[in-house]
Formats: sequence, structure tokens, C-alpha cells
Amino acid sequence: MLEFLRFVLIRAFLAILTLILVSFIVFSLMEMVPGDCAERYVAFKSSQGVTITAADIDAERVRLGLDRPYLLRWGSWIVNAFQGEFGDSCILRLNIAQLLGQKFWLSLGLCLSSLVLAYTIAIPVGILAATSKNALLNNSLRLVSYLGLALPNFLLALMIMLFSTIYFGDSLTGLFSKEFRDVAWSWAKVKDFLGHAWLPVFILGWSATAFAIQTVRALMSDEVGKLYVTAAAARGVSGRRLMMRYPARHALSPIINSLGFDLNRIFNELPIVALILTLTEAGSLLIEALARSNDQQLAGAIIFMLTASIVAINFLTDVILALTDPRVRRSILG
Amino acid sequence: MSNMTEISAEQKLKEAYFTASQGQLIWQRFKKNKSALFGAWVLIFLILSGIFAPFLTPYDPTIAGRDANYLNGAPQLPHFCDDNGCSLRPFVYTQERTRSMATNFRWVTEVKTELEDRRYLQFFVEGAEYKYFHYKVNLPGKALDFTIPGFTFNTHLFGVEPGMIHIFGTDDTGKDIYSRTLTAVNTSLAVGTIGVMISFVLALAIGGVAGYFGGMIDSVLQMVTDTVKTIPSIPLFMALAAFIPDTWSAEARFFFISMVLGFIGWPTLARRVRTHLLSERNQEYVLAAQLCGASAFHVIRRHLLPSFTSYIIVDLVISFPYMVLSETALSFIGLGLKDPVNSLGVMLQNVTSADVLLNYQWYFIPVIFFIVLVLAFVFVGDGLRDAADPYSDTKK
Repeated sequence: MLEFLRFVLIRAFLAILTLILVSFIVFSLMEMVPGDCAERYVAFKSSQGVTITAADIDAERVRLGLDRPYLLRWGSWIVNAFQGEFGDSCILRLNIAQLLGQKFWLSLGLCLSSLVLAYTIAIPVGILAATSKNALLNNSLRLVSYLGLALPNFLLALMIMLFSTIYFGDSLTGLFSKEFRDVAWSWAKVKDFLGHAWLPVFILGWSATAFAIQTVRALMSDEVGKLYVTAAAARGVSGRRLMMRYPARHALSPIINSLGFDLNRIFNELPIVALILTLTEAGSLLIEALARSNDQQLAGAIIFMLTASIVAINFLTDVILALTDPRVRRSILG
Repeated sequence: MSNMTEISAEQKLKEAYFTASQGQLIWQRFKKNKSALFGAWVLIFLILSGIFAPFLTPYDPTIAGRDANYLNGAPQLPHFCDDNGCSLRPFVYTQERTRSMATNFRWVTEVKTELEDRRYLQFFVEGAEYKYFHYKVNLPGKALDFTIPGFTFNTHLFGVEPGMIHIFGTDDTGKDIYSRTLTAVNTSLAVGTIGVMISFVLALAIGGVAGYFGGMIDSVLQMVTDTVKTIPSIPLFMALAAFIPDTWSAEARFFFISMVLGFIGWPTLARRVRTHLLSERNQEYVLAAQLCGASAFHVIRRHLLPSFTSYIIVDLVISFPYMVLSETALSFIGLGLKDPVNSLGVMLQNVTSADVLLNYQWYFIPVIFFIVLVLAFVFVGDGLRDAADPYSDTKK
């Protein structure tokens, strides 16, 4: 128990260290964007007809705290970021945490459901593919996983839109129907949401599934040939019981370990799929922040939160693994 | 006697096997993999058609080559036969756009299928000029600028007389989609090559140092690598691409995008280089070199890297399609390459409108080329990986 606690503590420390490093990278990138918040604000004022001098810009800089040294500003940004507070957006003049709030959780939900979808399909199919000697099945699975790479999600989204517009006359876009867009959550809204959400979940899960099948199959076929499986078979264990109790348990732990990186891959696709399907969540907000208005505060906050959720998943999966596998617990101490 | 020659022939075969270089062995195994070999042929075909795009395509892919009389035009496929009889030389029909009371004053394209309206395909026609090895070098200071003239050609593989032919149709400004597609293949390959080269150098340097020295340096570098891997790359890339001022030229944009792709793509490869080095650096031949007084750089370059060059090449081939796909995705959302440069992403920028989805589906023809391109890379990469792994036969 003590060993486990030590493991969790060290792991949590490493996770926070990673987050701090990430925040430094993200913050530095935000700083590299030409122009700062004060200039933007003042430019906005001058477009309203107010005459502006250089002294006004400096005063605004002092008001926003932009005159402080770089490291100090990073420090205050990171301290606020850990409390979920990202300040105001430069362009929209709104509180970022409020602006993101629900949208971020919605998109995280979408991505996590795609991840769940991917593995509910991939684990049984991958195990089946590794253990069966059916050439047709193996070859068709190979083709599907190649297609998962060659037909990236955004092209798949485009193709689905193309066909649904031609055959159903509806492009299947958006997350809510018009009448539900701005009302509070209710049972009817949840139903409407689920009616729309299946498509982005499917599209986001598409290439993740293809990758996952490949991984499960490869890990499984490595394990199936090992001696302990033969030994178990010699003891009379056979069929599904043999596969599930022996090689599958070994093959699945690296998969749990890589869940965070799978989530990373899904996040990668999110902004583009969101743009095509005109979903109104964090992904397309990011594109808007970057492409249309150059809003580095908002973009930085989104990237930071995406990365934070990946780090959190990595931490969780490590803890789960350590609970089930004593070798993992010890590895970090050595 | 014949028995003797048989034995010696067999011995020669064995000898050839045992003295073969690693490259020869890989090629032997690669040849046996039919799907990878097929992928390699497709890939070579696509690379060549990308390189010779200006010759293979009839028109300039930029706005200069537009066909003002055929906006949003459907693909014109060459025919050999029709109701008026057959012809050995393929032909397309003349199309006329008219607007009158009868059409409710909308532009309507009318296909004329009479014998005299046939336009025959011509080969090796003279058309828009294109240049190879033509560079403008812009050094600081006006006096230092110079231009490498290169070679100028104006022969194109095919065309029609009179008028223009668009075998994949045209887009909303009348640019030929076929010409743009082949040029886009060229662009994607170039972006991928630059990106892969940069990430390759970075991965080699960082992974090499981490793996060779190990210990503290390794831990710190691993931490950084893992952190960079944690940040979702496309959102990060979008943030970087937003730095590009609108005033940059298309070429400058192109180089910046390829460089950023390279700067984000290195962690996976760096990790593999490190793992290889960690397991190799304790071998006797490394110790021998070190005892002879070789420097770290020399040991890495002359002794350690050659031990897994083949793996590195395989990794590069495998990471290539990711570069191409990232570029496509970025250009598609408008943060990557922009109009005068052609790439698949640029070509797909406006296809989500209902008008295109319903009426102009030929906008999607380039997608097929890219799926084939990426698939070819994946097949070749997989085949190479299996071929480079000396234990792949015994595993199965």
C-alpha cells in the first residue's frame, strides 16, 4: 500500500512538472505572436473614433500588467491557469473561462466517446484477428486499417457530407437543432443532442479505431505464440477462456498506457472535423481565435486545457495500471 | 559433372546470401512482398507525374491558366466513338454557354454533338511556358540579387484545337482541376520532403545525444520529448501558422509551413533513435572505438548510425504521409498554404458549400489522388519495415 502511495505521489509530481513545461511552451508561443493585448485594445478604441497616443498604449500596458518581466507574467499565468482562470480574451473582451466552459466539456465528451467507441470495436476485433487464421478476415482488417490512415477524418467527414447531401438532402451538420441551440438543458435537448452527436463521434473515432485494431492485433499476436500460453493450453484451458485469461491480459496493459496519446490524436482531428460539420465547440473556437482574430489568449487557454486533459488521462491510466500490475509500481522507484 | 556445377551453383547462391550487403538483403525480402512492390510502382508513378506535372498537364495551374468561358465546368472526357461514327484520334465536343429568354436568363451550357463540333486531341502542343531549375536569389543588398535562368519549355503532352480541354473539369474561377491536381501532388511531396528532412536532423541530434550519453542528459531530453509529444500537434501548429503575416509571399509561406511541420514531427523518431543507441552503445565495437580515442561525434556517426540506417529510412517513409496529411488539413482550414500555391488542402477549401456538394462533385476528384498517394506510402513503408527486420521471417 505504501509502495502504491509513493508511486501515485511521484507520478502526480511528474504530471504537474509536465504541465508546467507545457505551459511554458504555450505561453512562449503566445508571446511570439506580433502585437500584444494593449495594442489590440487601443487599435479597437481608435477604430471607434477615439484618438490614441503612444502614452495611452503604455498606460494600457501597465493596466494589463504587460510591462512586467516575461518570467513573472508566465508565473502569474500558470498560477491562474491551474485555478481554471485564463483572464479576458483580447478580441472578444469576454472572460475566457466563461466562454470556454460548457464548450470545452462538450468537446472533451465527444473525444472521450470516440475513444470509447474505438476501443469497444478494436479490442474484440483485434483479438479475433490475431487468433484466427482466416486469411480473408485478416486481409480485410488490414485494408480497413490502411484506409483509416489514408482517409483522414476530415476527408471522411467531407465524403459523408457529400453523400448525405446527394442522397438525403441534408448535410447532417451542427450539434443541436435550431430550436434547442440556446435553451437550457432538458430531456428533449439531450435527445436532440444525441441525435446529432453520433456523426462527429463516429468520424472522430474512425481513424482511432483503425489504429487501435492494428495495435491490439500486433500486441496480441506477439503474446499468443509465447510459452505460457502453450503451457496453459497443455493444462487443458482452451478456447475463449484461454485467450481472455492469459495473452489478452498481457496484451491490453500497453494499450491502457497509450490511451493518452490516442486522445491526443483525436484532439488533433477535432478542430478540422468541427469546422466541416460546423460544430460550435472548443475546436472550431480555436480556429476562429487563430485564423480570424489572432486571439492568442484564447488559443493558449484552449491548447493548455487540451494538453492538461491528456496529461490527466496519462496520470489516471498509470495509476490504474499500477493498481493491477505490481511490476509497474516498482518500475518508477528503481 | 552436372552434379558438381549444381553444387557450386548452390554454393554461390549461399555465398551471395552471406556476403550480401544489408541493402541487398532488404531488397530481396521487399521484392517478395507483392502489395508493397505494387505500392512502390504507384509511388514512383505519382512522384514522376508530380515532377513532370507542367509537361503532363495542358495549362498553367494558377489563375493565369484559367478558362474564362468554362467556369465550374464539368469534366470533359475524350471520346472515340459517337452516333456520327468513330475516330482513331479521341475528341471532345464544343460547349457553348448561352443565356436567353428560354433559359430564364441563367447561363446554361450546351453541348454540341454534331460532327463539325468535334475538337480533336493533339499531342505535344505548345502552350504556357514553364521553367525548371529557375531560382531568384534574394540576398540582402540589391546588388547581390541574381537569377539562375534554368531551362524554359513550352511543350505540353496534350491539348485540343481549338479551345481548351478539362478532363477533370474546372473550378469556380475556371482553373483546370487536372492541372491543379498534379501540381498539388508535387507541392505535397515537396512539403513532405522538407518537413521530413528537418524532423530527421532534429531527431538524430536529440535522440543521438540522449541515447549516447544516457543518464541525466537522457532523462532531461526524454522529459522534453514527452512533453512535446503531449501537446496536440495540429492545434499547436495552428497557433504557429497564425504568426504568418498576410504580407508574406506564397513561397515564404510554403517554406515556413514545411519547417514548422518538421519542428513538430521529430519526437517519435527521436525516441526510436535513442532506444537503438541505448542498446547499441554498450557493444564491444563501441568500446573499441572509444579506446582508440574516437570522439563522441565520430563514434555516433561512423559506428552507431550505420548500425540502424535501414530503420531510420523506414521511419522516414512511414512519417511522410503524416506530413502530407497535416499540410492538407492545415491548408484546408485556411491556415496553411494559400491560393497561388496549389495543394490538396487549398483545392478543397471551398467544397463544403451546399452548391459544390450538390452540383459540382468533380471538385472531389483530387481526393482520389491523395488517398492513392498516402496508401502507396503506407504500403511501401510497411513493406520496408518488414523487409528491414531481419527476424520477420522467423517470427511468423
